[in-house]
Amino acid sequence: MNIKKLGKLALPYLVWMLVLVGIPLLMIFILSFMNTDGVSFAGATWTTAAWEKMFTLADTTNLQILGYTFLTAFVATVICFLIGYPMAYIVARSPFSNKFVILILTIIPMWSNSLLRNVALKNILSESNILDSLLSRIGLSFSIVFANQDQATFISIVIGLVLTFLPFMILPIYTVIEKIDESLLEASMDLGANRVRTFAKVTFPLSMKGVTTGIIMVFLPCFSGFAIQKLLSSGTVYVLGSLIEVNYIHDINFVSMLSIVILVLIFGSMMIVNKVDKEGATLV
Amino acid sequence: MGVRKKEPGRITRYLRRPEVEKVLQSIANVLKYAFFAFFMFLMYLPIIVIAIQSFNESTGLIYQFTGFTFDHWKNVLTFNLDSSLMKAISTTLLVALLATGISTVLGTIIAIGIHSLPQKKRQGMVFLNQVPILNADIITGISLMFVFKIVAEVIPGVFGIPSLLIAHVFFCIPYVVLSVLPKLAELDDNLYDAALDLYCKPAVGITKVIIPAIMPGILTGMLIAFTMSIDDFLISFFNAGQVNNLSIYIYGGYNRRLAPEVYAYNTILSTVIIVALIAMYVSSSLKKRKNLKREPRHA
Repeated sequence: MNIKKLGKLALPYLVWMLVLVGIPLLMIFILSFMNTDGVSFAGATWTTAAWEKMFTLADTTNLQILGYTFLTAFVATVICFLIGYPMAYIVARSPFSNKFVILILTIIPMWSNSLLRNVALKNILSESNILDSLLSRIGLSFSIVFANQDQATFISIVIGLVLTFLPFMILPIYTVIEKIDESLLEASMDLGANRVRTFAKVTFPLSMKGVTTGIIMVFLPCFSGFAIQKLLSSGTVYVLGSLIEVNYIHDINFVSMLSIVILVLIFGSMMIVNKVDKEGATLV
Repeated sequence: MGVRKKEPGRITRYLRRPEVEKVLQSIANVLKYAFFAFFMFLMYLPIIVIAIQSFNESTGLIYQFTGFTFDHWKNVLTFNLDSSLMKAISTTLLVALLATGISTVLGTIIAIGIHSLPQKKRQGMVFLNQVPILNADIITGISLMFVFKIVAEVIPGVFGIPSLLIAHVFFCIPYVVLSVLPKLAELDDNLYDAALDLYCKPAVGITKVIIPAIMPGILTGMLIAFTMSIDDFLISFFNAGQVNNLSIYIYGGYNRRLAPEVYAYNTILSTVIIVALIAMYVSSSLKKRKNLKREPRHA
């Protein structure tokens, strides 16, 4: 097999990955336990100051930020799943001969700048908004009123995250449902299971691979991002990412520590994906 | 008791009558598509608002539609933009085009390499390839920033377009690799052997035999790479130095008003991409139809 000789083409990639992934990860880990001036190790000392800045009961501000970040990301992911699964299912099982077109429809929003979409969303969610201004010309009105500012901020952020990352939930789930062999469903029905039971015992377990990927692809950016949160709260809310944004120039050690918090989550999800989806078939 | 239990109740019996079941079925269908359409509409609502803003005459308040104008579109199409927006847009497009080109070529070569590895090594590389995709953008951004900070000690000018471009190539390659690998798996490895047996050099064998066969995968990867690159914020944010791309420009506007041309630019860009995709789709399905018509004659 001559093609086996082409394996060496992958070697530079290994080096490239080691330099751009391996070394920085090692640096992040070491820097989080140090007190350095930027990335230079001259005169640096070992310390757990960065960790204490986060996990201390004396000042729970940072812990509260962590909690808020987790809550928004969790709620957004759950909503994405509850909306995204049925949508993926509907497309995959639709009688239309051209599912490709419907699929493209779900991807098209991704070709608009995602931050600009959130700027527009902020406009829509404001009490006096552009839609209201337009609708008032024909005697209608449109305005969403929230009970208080905190609620408005939380709901806006969740809506922003859901609308931005929903396609990342729909696509992997669609991919797996589409591949499920229809004869399995027929077999289940022939053996007397009704539709609900067939879904619960056949379709859903077989789509778990896509669900896992979808959940990870939505939860991770929701948990680690900061731009959408800042845009929709006009800069009033801090999330984990904002702490990184504020400190990335002056306090590398604290930033490294925060990165590890996110990395722990990522590492866990990679283990899961590697277990359920060895060839990365649901990632694209 | 057991027998009576199996007998459906009056309501169930009513619901199971064929004509009732038919009505229920169509109600369920309507609800299903209403659900789908509603959330599709929600996903499109911000884009509709962006399009409305691109025609909004109001220069002061973005929450008021004062009148219809084509000025913003005209300004974008004649490149008559304020300098910071102009720079942001040109940086975004330059980096996206270069990064897409470079990562498509490199990603294809790497994918061929990975495909040719023995199974254990291949799985390892596939896993490694997934790292940048599964990794949170913010971690990728910080990681690359650390590397560039060290490099900057030697080459001071690295932060800016060079670091931005390398960063984008870095996160685009894995998508190309992932889209090409399945196509390689479908390919018959004997074809390449045959090419070499017929005295092809390996390079010619790759470009004349392997590449044409995996073209659809390469194009998909290219499209994903471009999509990721023009929209990226987080990785660019940490690696752009003093340069702004469009996302960074928009992010800077979280508490100030954006130049209205940004809405027009965004609408124009997505329209162009959509029209291009439709054209590609129509031409490919026309080709398919032609081939279908031809086949019987050959047979």
